[in-house]
Amino acid sequence: MLVQVVTLFVAGLGIYAAIGILFAFYFVSLGCGKLDPMAKQGTIGFRILIFPASAALWPLLALRLARGRQTPPIERNAHRDAAGGGA
Amino acid sequence: MSLNYQAVGWNRQKKIYDRTMVLGVLLYLGLFIGITATTNPTATAETLMIRGFGTAALLLLHIILAIGPLARLNPMFLPLLYNRRHMGVTMFVLALAHAVLAMIQFHAGGDQFPLISLFTSNGDYSSVSQFPFQPLGFFALAILFFMAATSHDFWLANLTAPTWKRLHMMVYVAYFLLIGHVVLGVLQAESSPFLAGVLGLGAAVVWGLHLTSAWLEKADDEEGNGEGFVDVCAVEDIPEKRARIVCLSGERVAVFKYDGKVSAISNVCRHQNGPLGEGKVVDGCVTCPWHGYQYRPHDGASPPPFTEKVPTFRVKVSEGRVLVDPRPLAPGTAVEPAVIAENAAEELSS
Repeated sequence: MLVQVVTLFVAGLGIYAAIGILFAFYFVSLGCGKLDPMAKQGTIGFRILIFPASAALWPLLALRLARGRQTPPIERNAHRDAAGGGA
Repeated sequence: MSLNYQAVGWNRQKKIYDRTMVLGVLLYLGLFIGITATTNPTATAETLMIRGFGTAALLLLHIILAIGPLARLNPMFLPLLYNRRHMGVTMFVLALAHAVLAMIQFHAGGDQFPLISLFTSNGDYSSVSQFPFQPLGFFALAILFFMAATSHDFWLANLTAPTWKRLHMMVYVAYFLLIGHVVLGVLQAESSPFLAGVLGLGAAVVWGLHLTSAWLEKADDEEGNGEGFVDVCAVEDIPEKRARIVCLSGERVAVFKYDGKVSAISNVCRHQNGPLGEGKVVDGCVTCPWHGYQYRPHDGASPPPFTEKVPTFRVKVSEGRVLVDPRPLAPGTAVEPAVIAENAAEELSS
């Protein structure tokens, strides 16, 4: 029973990682620039560094790309809320 | 604080920091392997490396966890905070090396896939004392991977700071998993009280520092609110080119003294919520102690071509006291700094 559960877990992890790696190739080359304008001119080193997390977070990033978000959100805190936000 | 993303925003301080850290890690590994090989001649090279990488990662994790509260307790430790994320990535690399070698040593030679073997070689999940320790290490490594992989500014901006912070606070979960991993995996096999003592001392230092700094910060966070100006401190309480941090309108405000003037900005850096008030004024700009993001003290805006802005506050100096209007102004709003010298002259003439 334990072996079957673990085999399913490891197989699921493998499938998730395989999709993630394929997605990451697209994301670091084109997708990141669609999500964040500052990434359009990102260096090769930058693209290599964001590859692992692109593969690991692929469902979240795919969702963000599908929503077509163009600029990173600005964080809120008590002062920003009271002052009216801004860049 | 850049117009496009680079792999690493190197500067002289970061290079010195990283060189020192790598040298320290190499020195530790050399000493650990040398001493262990001498005191335990039967240990194989693989075992020495597995233990060397593992203990180096655990030691580095303790240092990483101690840096935050240490820097809050004494500004002397702020330089350690500056490039802490490189220390985190280094810690992950060491933990990964430990894990890969352990997988090869203990799980690669069987007829099961190594990862399946890791979870099933000891199936005593209902036991406390014999609970399988390797899955704990696996899940801790997974957390450390997410933290290391998302350490670039791109992820901070695109995951948003609160999500990024929550993800990186998982380091405490990783810490507990690793303590379980070590306690179950090593201490059960070792009769020496030395390892248990070292682990207990490490935990006492980390949690003692966290509790002490939290207690002191809570005492400092006297909340000020309302319409009128709030008396926050005496002018001489603020060191030159440094700040006094006060809590106003639900968040901390950094009140800086520089070049005979006083200005106040929100204490929260746009980058990673770093504590601006723990930084200092460098080249006319408030410089975040965490990663060097800069803001002009009078308007809370980063110097061109950068675009980051933080809220500002109106400030007055009267009879040697600094008064701050607790109502935050929109990020980037210019506020005339309170001039100390003129104010003092007026007081003398009156």
